[in-house]
Amino acid sequence: MLGSLGRGALSHKALTVGLAVIGGILVVGFFVPLPHDPVQPNPANTLAPPDGEFWFGTDRSGFDVFSRVFASARLDVPLALAGTLLSIAVGVPAGLLAGTKSRWSEAIMRGLDMFQSFPLLVLAFAVVALTGNSLRNVVFAIALVNAPRFVRLVRSEALSLRESRFIEAATAIGASRTRVMVRHLLPNTLGVVLAQASLAAAHAIIVIAGLSFLGIGISPPDASWGVMIRAGSQNIATGQWWVSLFPGAMVFCTIVAFNVVADGVHRLIGRVED
Amino acid sequence: MRHRTGRVAKRLVFIPVAVFIVITLAFGLVNVLPGDPALLIAGDLASDERLAEIRAELGTDKPIPQRYGEYVHQLFVERSLGDSYFTKRSITDEIIQRFPDTLELVVLGLLGAVLYGTLLGVLSSYFRRRWPDRVSRLSVTITQSIPDFFLGLLLIYLVFYKLGWAPAPVGRLGLLDLPPERVTGAVILDTIIARDWGLLRTAAHHAMLPVITLALFYSSHFAKTSRAVLARAFTSEQVEFARACGLSEMKVVGYAFREARTPVLTYVGILFAALFGGAAIVETVFAWGGIGPWAIEAMTKLDVPAIQGFILVVGLLTLLVYLVLDLVVVALDPRVSYE
Repeated sequence: MLGSLGRGALSHKALTVGLAVIGGILVVGFFVPLPHDPVQPNPANTLAPPDGEFWFGTDRSGFDVFSRVFASARLDVPLALAGTLLSIAVGVPAGLLAGTKSRWSEAIMRGLDMFQSFPLLVLAFAVVALTGNSLRNVVFAIALVNAPRFVRLVRSEALSLRESRFIEAATAIGASRTRVMVRHLLPNTLGVVLAQASLAAAHAIIVIAGLSFLGIGISPPDASWGVMIRAGSQNIATGQWWVSLFPGAMVFCTIVAFNVVADGVHRLIGRVED
Repeated sequence: MRHRTGRVAKRLVFIPVAVFIVITLAFGLVNVLPGDPALLIAGDLASDERLAEIRAELGTDKPIPQRYGEYVHQLFVERSLGDSYFTKRSITDEIIQRFPDTLELVVLGLLGAVLYGTLLGVLSSYFRRRWPDRVSRLSVTITQSIPDFFLGLLLIYLVFYKLGWAPAPVGRLGLLDLPPERVTGAVILDTIIARDWGLLRTAAHHAMLPVITLALFYSSHFAKTSRAVLARAFTSEQVEFARACGLSEMKVVGYAFREARTPVLTYVGILFAALFGGAAIVETVFAWGGIGPWAIEAMTKLDVPAIQGFILVVGLLTLLVYLVLDLVVVALDPRVSYE
């Protein structure tokens, strides 16, 4: 399954472009030397417009926007991916369990209904603020917001799969319920989970930007796109557009890239809504 | 009909359980989660006496069951959400003061999102794979990929700074305007009640950008849902028959749109509830002064009673909205009751 996905991925243009953009952002953030120190302000050059030395200009403390935009990728993208992985680790098993005819399924779904009737984003903000501003808590917050979608997705997949012939066959030759779940149901949900993971990562980027915009979880001088947008928000009404625009544009590109990847995976597995 | 009343009754029985869970969650947020709010409030360098003092003030020095009992007692017997840890003002007053502003923004923003989003959805499905479809899908792709607060900042730059069509993002009214007499607390509504049309213009002008921000950002939900539902509806026999009867295209679209009513309404309910906290950052950007920025400030300052009160109120509001939503959907769509 993974192998065929991998081969298909390379032959698919949109998917390749999406993955390349995300990979590119990460490579520049981690490996390419940045022109200025992203956490060392230069007080002599505050609010300088983009020019030959400061490609994206500087903010009002004298931070180089270009360096910080890519330094932020080091923090924001891995955090989003970690949060998404945790959501999968929690959501997929719960969804599998909820998709089988067990006494757990009803309890999981009712609990999820209750849980989701809360404004999860606010709850996530509150949890991070109350448990202490740390990156680990940001990852938990993302999992809190995103895990429910994996539960619902995997459950609905499992519900439609469990009536199919091969599951019946597996049960008939005496496979245990756990074996059916792990060896037969799980691999068949892989495609949709991957697509959903990409959408969840896009959402995680928005959540992280929101959190760090408010100074919850990540705060200056650490570079994060939300922190940078916040830094420029006071200047944008007076015309210094570059401080907020570049990090905002990076958030936009990253989210579009993740959405494109999700779309590509959907096409690969033949689940195009159109 | 019997099915319907049964369903409604089931929902009503569920309410006390749900209220109990909301209260427990608001309580548990502070009391059960790992992490000591007292430590966060006092800072790393605080003395043990100071920590004990804060714990006593927050009540976190007592055992959990006792604290829970006291919290429930405070809610139901004293009918109080407690006082702010820093300003000592009653949380209930703080919330009542700010709630109407947020309500006004959320209602207007959602209204805009529904109108714009369903318009996109209808155009998109009616002119499938032609240019209105492409334009509409481009709009969806863009608005769902920009964080709403960044969209707000972009609008401030373009519409306020560059074009000068919007006033500075300083809140509900200009800095020199006197607010209308407080009747409902919602500024736009109050100017109408006071029949102060000049001030209404100012208030509407100031509301323009935040409302557009929310409307654009949340329109993608409505556009995607209504497109998906209408695409099916336009190929249905019902629509074919309506056309065969010689009804005007407007009427045909109207009949097809009935299919989309329930999902659109469901999204209205879900987003309405979610926006009371979700609009917080947009409110911050536009200095709107509603409940969102207040809650965010409480979170960053660790004003524990305020955070609890906010979670509780928003949670209960969400329950209420979902209940109303369920009732309306059942009333509109008789098929739901047979499920």
